[in-house]
Amino acid sequence: MRRLLIALSLALLVGAPASAQQQPGSDVADDLPAAVAEEQITVSSTYGGSYITVFGVNPDRRGRGDIVVVLRGPNEPATVMRKRRVPDGNFPFGLWINGDPVQFSEAPAFFAVLSSRPLREIASADSIWRYQLDPAASARLASAVPSGGDPSAYRAALVRLRAEQGLYQWYRRPPREGERGGLTAYPGGLFRAVVRLPANAPIAQYHADTYLFRDGRLISRQRIPITIARIGVERTIHDLATNVSWLYGVVTVMLALLAGWGAAVMFRRP
Amino acid sequence: MIYLPIAEMPVAVLLIFLVSGTVGFVSGLVGVGGGFIMTPALLFLGVPAPVAVATGASQIAATSFSGIMTQTRRRSVDWRMGLLLSLGGVLGSSAGVALFERLLRLGQLDLLVSILYLLLLSSVGFLMVRESYRFWRGHPQKSVSVLRRPLKTVAHTLPFRLRFPRSGLYISVLPPLGIGFTIGAISAIMGIGGGFILIPAMIYLLRMPTNVVIGTSQFQVLVISSLIVVLQSIATQTVDLVLALLLMAGGVVGAQIGARVGAGIKAEYVRGILGALLMAASIKFLFDLVIPPAELYVLGGGLM
Repeated sequence: MRRLLIALSLALLVGAPASAQQQPGSDVADDLPAAVAEEQITVSSTYGGSYITVFGVNPDRRGRGDIVVVLRGPNEPATVMRKRRVPDGNFPFGLWINGDPVQFSEAPAFFAVLSSRPLREIASADSIWRYQLDPAASARLASAVPSGGDPSAYRAALVRLRAEQGLYQWYRRPPREGERGGLTAYPGGLFRAVVRLPANAPIAQYHADTYLFRDGRLISRQRIPITIARIGVERTIHDLATNVSWLYGVVTVMLALLAGWGAAVMFRRP
Repeated sequence: MIYLPIAEMPVAVLLIFLVSGTVGFVSGLVGVGGGFIMTPALLFLGVPAPVAVATGASQIAATSFSGIMTQTRRRSVDWRMGLLLSLGGVLGSSAGVALFERLLRLGQLDLLVSILYLLLLSSVGFLMVRESYRFWRGHPQKSVSVLRRPLKTVAHTLPFRLRFPRSGLYISVLPPLGIGFTIGAISAIMGIGGGFILIPAMIYLLRMPTNVVIGTSQFQVLVISSLIVVLQSIATQTVDLVLALLLMAGGVVGAQIGARVGAGIKAEYVRGILGALLMAASIKFLFDLVIPPAELYVLGGGLM
């Protein structure tokens, strides 16, 4: 099995395009050898989520340092609201309504970070923030927080709510026997990271970033794009709904009339 | 399992068929539209509220068209009244969709939908249970056709009067326009047809004869729900075609079976049970509004 894995990953490495993209503000080498098993993931009518596998080799000959793999979805604006009671105070009967909205100008729509031991033992707090190795570090506040509100509470709530939806994930140890999802290191510096992509994860362009940390410092990294795209009927329907939305509405109504007509004819009493 | 392209979630096909079929069956059995059971059922299955409301409208269009096919053969549609109600409905549903989109962006759509459903389900449920209880006690309510209608309503005194030959009426155009507007707005926000509000309004407020009431109301519901599907497609892009097809198929077949079965049993008892269920569902909406939430923060605002 192990030999097969090594052979497979080497084959992938040879075939992998040299698409190392430069990330801003760093003197770190972009030469970490890594590749993804699925560069394109297709969403058809039977789609129910997927797995993304990142292979690679630790370039350090003596195998020093720790590999961290991050799978990122697109950065999008997000809003977090806090429920409040109306009327507030001691009135015995009140409604809980959404209030006090706080906007984030960008927050990752999907975020998974994989390491073979807790991230804080691998990277310094400064590095975690600088290289955005945590979803909270990637979320940028846009609007002022309402008086009495705590910005970090809103940030924590955003991360917690997205984590509950399976959109933010942390793998802090190698997968156990029978588990799928996590970072496994093999002898010879080979590693394999598997991320579970839930069906509700947005359909967009993703990036798999691989980092090598040693003594809390980033040594090397690699960025690989992964495309998730609709195909077939799913694609046709979605394109129609977004590009020619009035026609899409008319088609839906026509189908509704057809269904109603069909039922009336089928069940007509003689 | 099938992946919904707009809701962006996988659903079990059989489960959706089962739910839409059951809702259709109940609506055929009791003789109600079913939108006000379908939308909460979809919410319960985890379909996002905007998708549930917008997509439900397409299923209502299918059901009402199926009904109209039967009614036109009996010449029981007052087209002039239907057009007037629809005109009001066009304005109302446009306003409703605009409000829907605005509330969705503000993150307050769920609140309005919950409050409206709380009021609707509790009042309809109460009326059904009361009617069933009276029947059980041996004091059945006189059927609508012989119910004493007020001779003169506000519709007969307002200006801009028009003749409605099929209904035998000479009334002002303002009340039909107003009724149409209200139903259109409620339909757009709640994902219901509104027949069970429209029909009493037509009988008691407009004094329309009962033989044209059902066909005419179905005509208005068809126009409004079709318009809502198109408007929601443009404004919020929350109409899911795949979900709509599943709902139509299940709902239409269920309704026909329900109507067959309903012919053989006492509808009053079924209504009593349904009314109790609706009241129970309304209590759930009430609890969600008044119980202090375990999670204070919610993701929201923006479209989806």
